[in-house]
Amino acid sequence: MAGNRMQKIGSVFSRTRNLLRIGVIKKPLWFDVYAAFPPLREPVYRVPRPRYGKVKDVIRPILYQEDEVRAKFYKVYGSGPRPFNLSQSNYKSTCQRFVEKFNELKEEGKIEEEKLFEETGKALLASGIILQRRGTDKVAQEDHQGVETRGSVLHLQLQTVLEEMQGKKKDQEEQTPELAETQKENPLPS
Amino acid sequence: DDKLLSEPLSHPDFFNVKELFSLKDLFDARVHLGHKKGCRHRFMEPYIFGCRLDQDIIDLDQTMQHLQLALNFTAHIAYRKGIILFISRKRQFCHLIESTARECGEYAHTRYWQGGLLTNAHIQFGPGVRLPDLLIFLNSLNNVFEPHVAIRDAAKMNIPTVGVVDTNCNPCLITYPIPGNDDSPTAMELYCKLFRMTIIRAKDKRRQSEVFSELR
Repeated sequence: MAGNRMQKIGSVFSRTRNLLRIGVIKKPLWFDVYAAFPPLREPVYRVPRPRYGKVKDVIRPILYQEDEVRAKFYKVYGSGPRPFNLSQSNYKSTCQRFVEKFNELKEEGKIEEEKLFEETGKALLASGIILQRRGTDKVAQEDHQGVETRGSVLHLQLQTVLEEMQGKKKDQEEQTPELAETQKENPLPS
Repeated sequence: DDKLLSEPLSHPDFFNVKELFSLKDLFDARVHLGHKKGCRHRFMEPYIFGCRLDQDIIDLDQTMQHLQLALNFTAHIAYRKGIILFISRKRQFCHLIESTARECGEYAHTRYWQGGLLTNAHIQFGPGVRLPDLLIFLNSLNNVFEPHVAIRDAAKMNIPTVGVVDTNCNPCLITYPIPGNDDSPTAMELYCKLFRMTIIRAKDKRRQSEVFSELR
């Protein structure tokens, strides 16, 4: 039985058609169906070479107008107070409700542009959703205090260690006085 | 007998496969979700609608067209009593696909693909084996994310293929590709349901037509 196993030349259909024309093969089952309903692209082999030179991204990014509001929301409040429930297809997250409220207030037009963000936050608070700011001030203060307390504790620990070492060195003074001095100097700058 | 086979080809949608699925069904089954931008295959770019926060979104309008063509082709093959083989190398859906094939009365191969199954069939299975007339790939990649060997082998043996291609797959050699998600369970269940319904519908129609022609 003849056949054509060259998958890189032409498509399955073109090869079978040529074999049929010669007469070395019986008509296969799928031939008429393919001829009547061909695919949108003929399945010809193409070498999968990567793009070289200035690589252009051919695919456009999907962005919406509301993305600006969403970005600001996530920057200020972090991820919302309640987790996303993806099992419901009509689920509205806190961020989505915020965006809708923002658009409503924007369409009304009574509030200025700069204050719209705060006003939507207040409106959501009125309807019962509490938003916790992920603000920068609070975090910086906490860090500062933490560093101070940690610093003072470390300082105390260092002092006690130094005293112990000094005590030990006084005992060993007769044996190695020079080494003790170098040892005392080394931990101090660290 | 000739009339029996040639009559369905004159209708554009003899088995009415369009009514089996809608755009909303595809969306709810999360068929439009692709992989991340870095995994994208170059030849999948025409089928991708856009990129949302680095995740590729597949164009469902094109998927609808491709799915309709693919289902129509499978229906015609099943009508002509062709052998259909389901192939997937994803362990998560291996059982689902095998049970789908059993319900259709067709075949499935969801295990390790030995080298010469199609190309060396006469030696592996014995002389006079009938090879499948259609291969349906529900995952066109194997476990190491390379194209499944059966795609190349089917092209070699001049067997048409239908396959679900995700954004990291190569759709070149697949006769009727279906751009869509092949990782979500909902998407896979949808595909299995669609293929099962088309094949059963086509086989029932064949039995009906044979009965009618015998009556005449």
